[in-house]
Amino acid sequence: MKLITAIIKPFKLDDVKTALQAFGVTGMTVSEASGFGRQRGHTEVYRGAEYTVDLVPKVRLEVLVDSPDAEKVIDVIVKAASTGSIGDGKVWSTPVESVVRVRTGERGVDAI
Amino acid sequence: MSTRERRERSDSSDFVLQELFRESVEKFPKFMGALAIGAVGGYGRGELSPGSDLDLLIIHDGSMPSESLLEFVNSVLYPLWDQARAVDHSVRTRAETKVAAEADLKVAMGLLDLRAIAGNFELVTAVAQEAQESWRRNFKRNFAGIVSSVLERESRSGELAYLLEPDLKESRGGLRDITTIRAMALTGSVPIALDRLAAAENLLANVRDSLHQSSGRGRDQLLLSQQDAVAKAMNFADADALMLEVAKSARTVDYVMSLTIHRIENTKAKKLFRKRSDSVIGLGLRVHNEEVVLEPAEISEGDSGFGLRAAAAAVQLGLPLSIDATVYIAENFTALPTPWPRQSREDLVALLGAGESLIKVWEALDQEGIVESWIPEWSHVRFLPQRNALHRHTVDRHMLETAVRASALIRNVHRPDLLLVAAAFHDLGKGFLDLDHSEYGEVLMRPLAHRLGFSDEDCETLALLVREHLLLSTVATRRDLDDPATIAHVVQHVGNAETLELLHALSIADGEATGRTAWSDWKARLVADLVSRSLSAMAGIEPAAQLELTPSQIARSAEGELWIEISAHENNFEIEIISPDQVGLLSMVAGALTISRLNVRSARTRTVGESAVMKWIVVLDPHAELPTAVKLEELLRRAFRGELDLSDRLSERIANYRKFPGIPVAPPIVRASNDLATNATVLEVRMHDRPGILYTVAKAVSRFGVDIRAAIVATLGAEAFDTLYLTDLQGNALSEERAVLLANQVEQLLLTQ
Repeated sequence: MKLITAIIKPFKLDDVKTALQAFGVTGMTVSEASGFGRQRGHTEVYRGAEYTVDLVPKVRLEVLVDSPDAEKVIDVIVKAASTGSIGDGKVWSTPVESVVRVRTGERGVDAI
Repeated sequence: MSTRERRERSDSSDFVLQELFRESVEKFPKFMGALAIGAVGGYGRGELSPGSDLDLLIIHDGSMPSESLLEFVNSVLYPLWDQARAVDHSVRTRAETKVAAEADLKVAMGLLDLRAIAGNFELVTAVAQEAQESWRRNFKRNFAGIVSSVLERESRSGELAYLLEPDLKESRGGLRDITTIRAMALTGSVPIALDRLAAAENLLANVRDSLHQSSGRGRDQLLLSQQDAVAKAMNFADADALMLEVAKSARTVDYVMSLTIHRIENTKAKKLFRKRSDSVIGLGLRVHNEEVVLEPAEISEGDSGFGLRAAAAAVQLGLPLSIDATVYIAENFTALPTPWPRQSREDLVALLGAGESLIKVWEALDQEGIVESWIPEWSHVRFLPQRNALHRHTVDRHMLETAVRASALIRNVHRPDLLLVAAAFHDLGKGFLDLDHSEYGEVLMRPLAHRLGFSDEDCETLALLVREHLLLSTVATRRDLDDPATIAHVVQHVGNAETLELLHALSIADGEATGRTAWSDWKARLVADLVSRSLSAMAGIEPAAQLELTPSQIARSAEGELWIEISAHENNFEIEIISPDQVGLLSMVAGALTISRLNVRSARTRTVGESAVMKWIVVLDPHAELPTAVKLEELLRRAFRGELDLSDRLSERIANYRKFPGIPVAPPIVRASNDLATNATVLEVRMHDRPGILYTVAKAVSRFGVDIRAAIVATLGAEAFDTLYLTDLQGNALSEERAVLLANQVEQLLLTQ
């Protein structure tokens, strides 16, 4: 089993959710996040005052998947979240040892 | 569930206990007179809910040997336990009861309802009398403990009126609060409106009974999952209708509790000074024992705006209105003309802009039905629940909380009055089935704004603010901020920078008032980013426009003489002054008006050639007399000759104004920027209104070696917003550095004065 984590632009959340649901993913966890990448935020000029933004608001999405599906799910997320401009984010996967569904006690892939 | 059913339950429990007593005491005939069973708490009052414990006090005179006493008590209790009755009991002698009551407030309060059920009634009566006497005697000492227990319960169990799943007994505004109020009423130390509590108590007790019955348990927390069943059992249309009534009752109880505590706290102070004179804060308004009270002799019946003025005065001082004052207003000052006069509109703005103190005063006005008379649109949202995880408060309270948050943001906008009014009414459109609340809110706001007397332009701004109050937070999280189309969308919907500034502040206030589920630093940053990008795409905000001069004013100014004309209007006086210009002229005139006890509401001044033309709109201090033009001229000439020490006399006036602690207000903000259009430096001063602002600012500016070409003074509610057009002695705008330096100096001066 794998945990797929994605950091995406906030306004892309709906698109990614829809794409994942269409793919067949039935659950996910969403949280607010802030961060920066290689461009370290961006510089804005506002009414004469220049300020650098380095932590930019993002959304973190986490999905548990069965290992064979991992690469496909990553593709789905990347495709839905991409705008082509700076700040689109990253997606990665990490291996998961065990998963349990709290209500029923089911374990492993049955719990996904 | 009803009072009768509760009484019947209580009566039948009495019967059972009497039987048990008879059977139990048969084994100890020698001690029949030494024993008694009494009921305390709710059962003592003859009220028993289906899930309630039987609160018993078993009293004995100490003559029984302990094994016999134990056997007696067990023979009463065991059958009850076997029947699965919940019993909360204590076994005490008369002396032990006294000690327990002195040590524990809860015990003392429970004993106030002590009622004899079986056994030696005289014994019970004696204990009950002692309990009442000791309660009265120790009340002052216990009061602090009572208040802290009320507050502690509130922080633990929340407010009944606003929680999704409130505890009917322990939450603020619930059954225990009612009991506490009754206990305080027993001491007779202050008048308490117990009649208001009766209906509230009845409803809450009925809901609690119904909850116990439908859940089969004795728990008092009304869970979301249970609300439909309870609503059905009580014949409410649905759970929303039920919770509306619960909220209404809870707020009544909360109101009476706050008022009672406030009164008791402030009557104690009375004892220290035999004679405590009331302080005058306005015509017909006094402060007495930390409450605003009325002096009916000074109030004229035709003064329709008096009620609003009284409320505004109270909130700006951070004090409540006395209940008598509130009732008097409800009886005499609920009708306002259409449109509202300017003073009433200003009073509403001052009321809404005072921060936290708004809540309690508004609640008092609302409890008396005054708010609905002034603003009929309010009726629909009163107590309207928002039963979802997102909102903490009912719609009406949420809007007030938004106004409270907005009051902290008024320094960020050019029109604090529009921000506060929009904040207080932005959700008026809620609760209409099938209608989008933003759109319908706009439909309601426009006529309301007209009625309040706002200009057409302002009415449109207010309508827009209500219609678009969710725009920024929705767009910021749902759309690509890098996309020019997104920014264009916002610019198109909002129109200009001044409105965007207002909408931004409104979004922040609304978000903060809703709570962490809807607003966070994360969201705030997204919205701020959207706003800054949109502002870059818009033209800047124009400073307030200079005074337009009439030909007669221009002619008179060419004469080079001092000329004054005073004309009276409905609620204020207009003073026109044309004078040869000199260094410090503006500060001298402003100072002279202030020490003549005239409050400047607005002013426009402008230099033309060697003279200055000024138009002042002033209001008299209560009990002050309007000076004649002749007197004013004399005063000004003395000032020009340097014979008048304005600083001292002004400091006196400011000190007088500061007599009351008042409310925390945002610090002054002073900004300078260069205006290309007029080749002048524009200085904007925003601060909480008080006497002498213009004097201080103008004096500081003239000391800086800078000319004041024009000044526009505006008072919006309780906020002063002054705009000064400044030039150097050659008639040009100041350099950037000088402008910033001047702004900082003035800001510091206003902060420290």
